[in-house]
Amino acid sequence: MNIRKLVWLEFRQHKSQLISGLLAITLGIAVIVGIRSISVVSEKAVAVNLDNLGANILVLPQASNVDNYYAADIDAPTMPEEYVDRIVSSNLQGVDNLSPKLTRRTMIGNENVVLTGILPKNEVTSKPLWQQSGILGNELKASCAPDNAANKSNGFEDEKLQRKSIDSLGTNECLVGSVIATKLKLAEGNPVDILGEKFTVGRVLNETGTIDDDRIFIHLHKAQEILKIPGQVSAIEIMGCCNAISDGLLSKLRNVLPDTRVTTIGQIVATQIQTNKMMNKVSLIFLIIIIFVGGISIGNFMWANINERHKEIGMFRMIGFNKSIIYQMILAKALVLGILGGIIGYILGTLSGMWLGPELAGLPVNPIPMLVLVSLSISIGVSLIGSIIPAYLAGRIEPFNIMQED
Amino acid sequence: MILKTNNLCKKYQHEDGQVNALNNVSFEVNKGDFVTITGASGSGKTTLLLTLAGLIKSTSGQVQINGFDVISASDRKLSEFRKDHIGFVMQSFALIPYLTAIENVMLPLTLSKLSKDQKYKKAFNMLQLVDLENRKNHLPKELSAGQQQRVAIARALVNSPTLILADEPTGNLDPGLSSDILHLLKKINQQENITILMVTHSPLAAEFGNRKINLINGEIN
Repeated sequence: MNIRKLVWLEFRQHKSQLISGLLAITLGIAVIVGIRSISVVSEKAVAVNLDNLGANILVLPQASNVDNYYAADIDAPTMPEEYVDRIVSSNLQGVDNLSPKLTRRTMIGNENVVLTGILPKNEVTSKPLWQQSGILGNELKASCAPDNAANKSNGFEDEKLQRKSIDSLGTNECLVGSVIATKLKLAEGNPVDILGEKFTVGRVLNETGTIDDDRIFIHLHKAQEILKIPGQVSAIEIMGCCNAISDGLLSKLRNVLPDTRVTTIGQIVATQIQTNKMMNKVSLIFLIIIIFVGGISIGNFMWANINERHKEIGMFRMIGFNKSIIYQMILAKALVLGILGGIIGYILGTLSGMWLGPELAGLPVNPIPMLVLVSLSISIGVSLIGSIIPAYLAGRIEPFNIMQED
Repeated sequence: MILKTNNLCKKYQHEDGQVNALNNVSFEVNKGDFVTITGASGSGKTTLLLTLAGLIKSTSGQVQINGFDVISASDRKLSEFRKDHIGFVMQSFALIPYLTAIENVMLPLTLSKLSKDQKYKKAFNMLQLVDLENRKNHLPKELSAGQQQRVAIARALVNSPTLILADEPTGNLDPGLSSDILHLLKKINQQENITILMVTHSPLAAEFGNRKINLINGEIN
């Protein structure tokens, strides 16, 4: 016979009480785990969806005008192309794709055209609408997670590789926006004269409804050559992970490139931040509720248990159990309740998340092992806190009562 | 001498005024004595027993058991002292309902450093002493009242106490069982040389002791 066995035997004796005490804490933990499991997945889904909207950070020379985010690169001052390497070598988290470009207005025949030099693969990556046109054959998906399988879908095992400039647009090939192709009556394979240089139309882009429909794209280095602006770009578009943007990616970029203007689309970032905040608030509200309700339930259960065992505890005190032993017995019971509640709550919460996630949010929910620790911490914490007052009161039970009650 | 009280007083405040539950109680008990404390209801018998065990604080006076000062000891020291030196037998038996007979007997050894086997052996020996070894795995509800009290006596003996304090040990038993229990206590007192202080209102039970203390309104008569 020892204290541990005594606690266990008492547990066994009051199974129904144990179950009702356990129920309060288990359900609370299950709710927290369920909500958290779904919200983690939904935060990721929102981030991916927002990333799929395309590049969301624009790096421009300091003197640029940013009144129109989507046309800010046109006729903008220039900055060295080497800035791209600086960003890559800085290893900033959350930079998923870099797309340097040089843009100038020019005339083809009688038509005013926007000529943009690009690094083809980077440009496609940053423009989800282009990905559907099958220009490169592979569909690219952006992801905030560096090790996400989507980053490897192009065959690149290292995410840094994905950021490297890749030449796959011929030096005298061009991609033509749908509107300008119509105006100039251009089709695939047609020759076109740009600033005295002969180009062949590699592809007419599908209509995107954006300013790109009015642009002609050639290779960046060819653009630098014919525009006589070697080694310069007018903008670097970045696909930044929205979570990273809200975590201060813009200011980190400004530190890397202090003589530039780094701007973003406020709405996208605001939406992400708002979503994250809402999810966190919901989790926090439930956490507070569970701490109050769970703590009170456990406290109530413990107090009822102690009242029922008034004579028993008095007996323990009489035969030599001091107050700290009584505290230990009550808190050991709370600890067991906390551990059981945490584990069962985690399992129930995860299962309900996996069941309700697809039903309610249309998202597949996977177990989050880290939440076991969180569940146990909360459950044990709530159990112990809820049991402190009953344990203290149990220690104050005077043993003489059991003799006087005879 | 194993127990000594000197001018022990216990006063309660009651809405009708002050109650002198114990008034200058002084007596001595020698090792191996079987002392019965008698008196009418409300005479202070149980209060005296509780004060001797340090379970309630006296208003004034002194209590020493085996040289240990019960009155000035801290709660922790008193718990320790009770665990090692005092066995209790009560009218209601005070057995833990979810523990078997042998587990109930082992209870005072819970905090001792003995091994599991040693605890079990000691408890089994005590059950043998009270002729209940064949009921060791029975829960209290599966035992008769007399058997339950014998388990309580075995529990009181298991830590080899200096002193057994018994409060109306036959109060809940019929005359036949009462006689059995009183004979058992007498046997323990004589064979094991354990000192017993027994509170009783029964003149018949009081005859089992070798010394009587009669209380009237908190004073020794």
